[in-house]
Amino acid sequence: MSETVVVDGARAGRFAKVLIVTGSVILAVVALAAILAPLLTGWGPTEIDPLGTLVPPGPGHPLGTDANGMDVWSRLLHAGRLDLGIAVAGVAVAVVAGTTLGLVAGYLGGWVDDVLMRVVDVFQAFPTFILALAVAALVGNGTGNLIAVIAAVNAPAYARLVRAEVRTVRESAFVAASVTSGASTLGVLWRHVLPNSLTPVRVIAPLNAGWAMLTLAGLSFLGLGVTVPAAEWGAMISLGSPDVVAGRWWTSVPPGLVLLICVLGFSLLGEGLQERAEAKRR
Amino acid sequence: MLSIEDLSVVIRRPGREVAALSDVSLRVGRGEVVGLVGESGGGKSMVARSIVGLLPGGSHATGAVLFEGDDVLRMDPAALQRHRGHGAAICFQNPRGALSPTRTVGRQLADRLVTHQRLTEEEARQAAEEQFAAVGIRSPRRRLAAYPHELSGGMAQRVMISLATGCAPGLLIADEPTTGLDVTLTREILRQFRHAADTDGRGVLLISHDLASVADVCDRVVVLYAGTVVESGPAARVLGRPAHPYTRALLRSVPDVDGRAVVATPGAMPLLKAAPHDCPFARRCAHATAECVAERPPVSRVPGAADDWTLACFHPRTDELASEEPAEAPERATAAERTVLEVDDAHVVYRSRFGKGGHAALRGVSLRVAAGETLGVVGESGCGKSTLAKLLLGLVPAARGDVRVAGSRMSDLRGRELRRLRTRVQMVFQDPIGSLSPRRTVGDAIAEPLRALGLPAARRAERVDAVVDRLELDRSMLTRYPHELSGGQAQRVCIARALAGEPELLVFDEPTSALDVTVQAQILEVIADVVRDPTRGSVFISHDLATVRGFADRVIVLYLGRIVEEGPVEEVFGNPRHPYTRALLSSAPSLGSGFSGPKVTLTEDLDDTGADAPGCPLAARCPFAADRCRTEEQELRPHGRAQAACWRVPEIPDLLKGSDIRV
Repeated sequence: MSETVVVDGARAGRFAKVLIVTGSVILAVVALAAILAPLLTGWGPTEIDPLGTLVPPGPGHPLGTDANGMDVWSRLLHAGRLDLGIAVAGVAVAVVAGTTLGLVAGYLGGWVDDVLMRVVDVFQAFPTFILALAVAALVGNGTGNLIAVIAAVNAPAYARLVRAEVRTVRESAFVAASVTSGASTLGVLWRHVLPNSLTPVRVIAPLNAGWAMLTLAGLSFLGLGVTVPAAEWGAMISLGSPDVVAGRWWTSVPPGLVLLICVLGFSLLGEGLQERAEAKRR
Repeated sequence: MLSIEDLSVVIRRPGREVAALSDVSLRVGRGEVVGLVGESGGGKSMVARSIVGLLPGGSHATGAVLFEGDDVLRMDPAALQRHRGHGAAICFQNPRGALSPTRTVGRQLADRLVTHQRLTEEEARQAAEEQFAAVGIRSPRRRLAAYPHELSGGMAQRVMISLATGCAPGLLIADEPTTGLDVTLTREILRQFRHAADTDGRGVLLISHDLASVADVCDRVVVLYAGTVVESGPAARVLGRPAHPYTRALLRSVPDVDGRAVVATPGAMPLLKAAPHDCPFARRCAHATAECVAERPPVSRVPGAADDWTLACFHPRTDELASEEPAEAPERATAAERTVLEVDDAHVVYRSRFGKGGHAALRGVSLRVAAGETLGVVGESGCGKSTLAKLLLGLVPAARGDVRVAGSRMSDLRGRELRRLRTRVQMVFQDPIGSLSPRRTVGDAIAEPLRALGLPAARRAERVDAVVDRLELDRSMLTRYPHELSGGQAQRVCIARALAGEPELLVFDEPTSALDVTVQAQILEVIADVVRDPTRGSVFISHDLATVRGFADRVIVLYLGRIVEEGPVEEVFGNPRHPYTRALLSSAPSLGSGFSGPKVTLTEDLDDTGADAPGCPLAARCPFAADRCRTEEQELRPHGRAQAACWRVPEIPDLLKGSDIRV
């Protein structure tokens, strides 16, 4: 009668940690490789090897050269700077802008809310990539402009997310307590509403950075991204795509793989953060 | 029928281990109502879950839960499913959360009957209607088509009971079935459980932290503390003359309408990681000796008592539970008579978002609070208590009328001035942890009003330290976050925050209703100390009349947004003029003598159908209602030292005479 009955369950938390660590390690390795690129490669990213174009992988060129005679390995590593940099910066700007909008709309409510949210609706009415194409075509290329494009297409989602969160938080007793303690509206927003409305943002942002990289690569693939000789994964894939048919895989497959790994890294990180947030709530 | 034998449950999860139950044994027989009482964290819900085979993930259980001879812990899924439908059924604490919001309640009941009783659709509908009628739902046919959100709390709980009893289970488990319900309803709902045991011969396990309520309906009581059974026996004995120090502490912590003093027990229940090797209550116990911390007291019979009264204590108490005389009202310096709050004919209307109309939550309330005075506000939920609190704090505007705090009107001020005035009124909220921002430290929270006053950081820190010391909080707590605090600590922090800016008016909105019984007594002591301060006035809002009686000077009784009675606390509680006040007092649960005068029971549950009708809003529920009540608006008129809004006040003593009116 005294044997123990065990109820299964409660993997809680552990799994989240694995996801977060794996995602972070992947991203850290790619980022480090991008930062240390000059030390890890013998060629510059836009340097042309006069001895040959489309050289297969081998000594001298670990991943061969592309149709312009540029070293693929070197371009691959250097491209990380642009890709990661633009994606992260773009999402960061989107988070700040979107959160601010959402905070104001959600807390003030009324006509301010209505106007801001209708603008957000307009942005969200277009498929993300079409919108990105349109904005990119409008502002032209260049690093700064690309960051603006990424920010513009992603900010509305944050505005909506934060607004929804703020609308619940502002009804909570601690906000009432703060208001009745004589805190100013800005004080309440900054000290109480904002910190308690960011949980979903923390989860979504890494996932979003992954998508942003895809958007960026897509734009470059279509020639609306970075200016041509600059090393960027999407541009590299675009440039190398005709070669694949001819059996010269090394110009486009490596950037494709790296892109995939990066997006995976971001996804794992975001997924892990979400698991952890849920485990905490239980 | 149900026999739990040496049940121990340890929940193992990565990073933490909790001994939820340690060697719990209890029995429930046919036709018997057993109360399972104790504070939260004591393991009450865990017992309930083990009976229906719903232990949480990561549980390691030993012992046996025998239901008619079968061990629930070791049932296969098919047997368990049968057991849950026919054997034991649970009524949950929050009926609205436990009912599916997208299906009508009749549908939900009929579905169960079809599945478990194999009735046809038509039979099920018939049976459902009968069930509804059986639990006291008026016009059951109409209610079958209602969705859960259309029902009042009491009605939803009745539906929940009908769902649980619908499939004729042998055992009915009610997990805190009356939490959040008004006193008038609590009594009615508990009666339903007694009824289920008496007429259908079901066993009922009634889980509650509210000792006074269960005292009336239970045959036996089992007291849990930190996952162990500390005392169990016949309800009248255990609650009347408890032998275990913890049971005694519990009982003494409960305020009572008869006004006896509350005695607080320091400390809080420990969270055990493994089955205890000592008496878990020893640290808080005044009678503890070395023996108590060295060894766990075995369960034994209470010396010289009936056979089934047992307890786990080396030093059982046999003396009378000290029933002290009502505490002397402390002397107050109210000579100054400075008015800190004045409300004059205030109306509050919540407009509906779309279209016209709205809901009037307050309809012409006038009151006055002087410095050094405490005003109690009582009434059922939905009567406008919380709206009144919000109005005083300037969180809702008055549609008509006037609110002046320390002589200034909030609606006249803007910006900095308004913020300064706001620090003059501070509120202590119902949910202490929810009213502290989860991402701000305790120190930061307490300093909030000081920040608004524009004090520099160093001065703020000084004042925070001073107020923290006054409330006997540990200074190390200042750097902690709300989720690290217990309910009692968090409520102390909230009181500290309210005091930090030295306000003129303190508003307590049900400050203890979310707390455990012994913690509640501790907080009430703190509040009693705080309101004694002659420099400020206090408003104490509660649905619990006993708590208000403890330290209010004057009381107002609200009903549907109007004041129906107002007066000094002894006057209102001792000689209620208005039928509504009398009804509230009559239904207040009590372990002591309770309300001594003739009792009155209101018909029907509170709904606001009467609110817009002409005449007295209580007319539909009042046993004394006459034609004049339905046509004539009632105003507050003085009766002795109190005022009441009822023209029949002079006749009521005669009406009450002879017949103890019950409907």
